[in-house]
Amino acid sequence: MAIVRKQLYRILITSCIVGYVWVYFNLKFGYSESYKHSFCLMKNITNVPCPSCGSTRAVISFIHGDFLQSLYWNPMGLIILSIMIVLPPWLIYDYATRKESLLNFYSKFEAIIRRRRVAIVAIVLVLLNWIWNIYKGL
Amino acid sequence: MDSQKVDMFIMANGKFFESHHVGQIRDSLVKLDDSKWVVIQTLQFKDPSTSLIISLFGGHLGIDRFVIGDTGLGIAKLLTCGGLGIWTIVDWFMIMGATREKNMEKLQQAFY
Repeated sequence: MAIVRKQLYRILITSCIVGYVWVYFNLKFGYSESYKHSFCLMKNITNVPCPSCGSTRAVISFIHGDFLQSLYWNPMGLIILSIMIVLPPWLIYDYATRKESLLNFYSKFEAIIRRRRVAIVAIVLVLLNWIWNIYKGL
Repeated sequence: MDSQKVDMFIMANGKFFESHHVGQIRDSLVKLDDSKWVVIQTLQFKDPSTSLIISLFGGHLGIDRFVIGDTGLGIAKLLTCGGLGIWTIVDWFMIMGATREKNMEKLQQAFY
């Protein structure tokens, strides 16, 4: 589906900045503080963790060099971290060269993930991760 | 196309589109060939109110975005805990407009 370049890039830039500020805030004040300041609506309302709860702690553990601990907190954190590392250079490249390589990649990725088989596998993985999160009591 | 048919379409489906698009839709439909009428008539549009309800309950997991077809943004929302909860709340107000935009895209694809 057609998403406009400007719109997509604006969303990505905003989320990248917010993400970096959030990670910085958590690095400075530690996990326990971040746990108290959880933004997760679901956990705050129902006390049940959502599928991506713990990804901040995963990112922080990875930055501290504790790979296994970060996998334990939430494997999604590693996906988020890699996206956060890859995005800024890519965005700068696209803006500098006036290309749409990121938008093209986004559209291709969307087309792949919407295939029935891929989607089912992804949904099952997310659900398993969610069950694991609830079991861990994040 | 017959303007009576076009008016019928607008009356039945007007709520699925942004009000500023309706005039444009009307113009394009009047110019459109009659052979496309069957295709246009059988299109299914997403109801903005339904997506609002989905957004209120499942917006945190990005389900609202998945439903209207914004898979990429849905994944982004899912990965980031609904954009730290902020995007979820923003989308409660944005999702109806986004649904109407998606319906417009779908209709435009049927035109060509």
